[in-house]
Amino acid sequence: MEREHQIIQRVYEAKGDNRKADDLIRDYIPFIRSEASKCIGRVCTEQDDTYSIAMIAFHEAIQGYAKGRGAFLPYAALRIRSRIIDFQRKEARHQGDLSLHEESGEDGQSMLDTLADPRDHFEQTALRDATWQEIQELSAVMAEFGVSFSDVADHSPKQERTLEACGAAIRYAAENRALLEELLRTKKLPLAQLAAGSGAERKTLERHRKYVLAMLLIQTNGYEIIRGHLKRVLNRKGGMAG
Amino acid sequence: MKYLVMECHLSYAVVLDEEGRFLKAANRQYRVGQTVTEIIEMEAPPPAKNGKRWIYSLTALAACLMVMVTAVFQVAQAPFASVYMSINPEVRIDVNRRDVVVGLEGVNSDGQDLTQGYDFRKKDLDLVMDELVDRAIDMGYLYDGGQISLTLGADDQEWVVTHSETLSAHLSQHLSGKLSATILVNGQTAQSTQVVIPVEPGESDYGMSDYGQAPPVTRPSEEGEDSDYEDREEGDDRPYGDSGYQEDGQTDYGEPEDSGYDEDDFDSDYEKD
Repeated sequence: MEREHQIIQRVYEAKGDNRKADDLIRDYIPFIRSEASKCIGRVCTEQDDTYSIAMIAFHEAIQGYAKGRGAFLPYAALRIRSRIIDFQRKEARHQGDLSLHEESGEDGQSMLDTLADPRDHFEQTALRDATWQEIQELSAVMAEFGVSFSDVADHSPKQERTLEACGAAIRYAAENRALLEELLRTKKLPLAQLAAGSGAERKTLERHRKYVLAMLLIQTNGYEIIRGHLKRVLNRKGGMAG
Repeated sequence: MKYLVMECHLSYAVVLDEEGRFLKAANRQYRVGQTVTEIIEMEAPPPAKNGKRWIYSLTALAACLMVMVTAVFQVAQAPFASVYMSINPEVRIDVNRRDVVVGLEGVNSDGQDLTQGYDFRKKDLDLVMDELVDRAIDMGYLYDGGQISLTLGADDQEWVVTHSETLSAHLSQHLSGKLSATILVNGQTAQSTQVVIPVEPGESDYGMSDYGQAPPVTRPSEEGEDSDYEDREEGDDRPYGDSGYQEDGQTDYGEPEDSGYDEDDFDSDYEKD
């Protein structure tokens, strides 16, 4: 009983704190792996997709748990099982497809090994390192505003219309560099100007303030790779890349 | 769709898609800066039910209670019986089951005059009648030697019967010392009631009229011995043919030609064509 109370307390603390959520998940990795193993009928390793799915299902259980709905661990176990079953059904649809990782000959080589790889691995690694560097820099700047990528993901627009409204504001800022400079200088989001210039509703921008902030920071100097990834956003409706 | 991995946690990773959405997805051994093409997105937790479901139950209970109270109130306010009081002003007084007046209406113009400005609410029938009679006296409608006619109407006959006596007595008591008035009470029930009163011939004055004395009404059973009908004993199998009618078709009324009418009598002013 006392143990259950402790878990519930930790779950509620973890709901709004990613670090505490990670700590809780780390402590319950044996439980998570055990539930995943029961589902797939064999020992689940860290390399299995089901392991990753079980981990995220446990995280979802933390976010979705309510005290009045019973004990946490049975709820988490149910959530893990449901998620893995969903994944297995999805995978079953692709059973007829050939996997590049299947062994194709007697020498134990997979199909992937026999295919010529046109990519330059050194170039790939260099690009990934550069991207990593950009993301770290962006993360550091965002930290100055008190925002993390997890916060941004929590406030990211879900509906297409909202995404478009925010996109209009971002494009307007990309075309008016003075706004971006003002943002960096004052550390304040110029919501009124963004709303007036882009035609987006101020209330919509306020509701997704952290998202808009992250996207505007990306438009400032130094994040070419990330901006390259977001070409669809910036090129939409006559917008231009910064 | 390509996703750029932005942040990695133990249980999830934050990825950025090409349309600018930041998403939380299962961390399948991702590394920051990596680009992936397929993710398992984190599902939004169902909206937390905040343990205040009892509020809904309480609201439903309160609504039920209000409906019940309203129903009881409506039953209490529903007219159960009506008293038509006619002096010259005629008014209709509606009462509920507890004889509390729930409606008052002037039936004719004097009645409307009498009830104008009078507050009957939450008053008993007796009090309302007393006060209306007093107003009628003050307004000159009821005077010494006048008449008050009460007509009671209700589905419940018992109510009519009991109130016929009590209302009359109450009004008489109320008027004593003020003036003398005749109080007539008529009862009306919604169900038509047929009262059968057996009438003995000797005791009745039926037949005594300006047209002279009617012949006495006799019952067949009492004068059986003088009847033209023969007594039939048990086991008497004789046919009923002996009733006086002859088998040959002749009757005691004589031949048809002896009826007194001659064919010549049919002569009329109208001639046959």
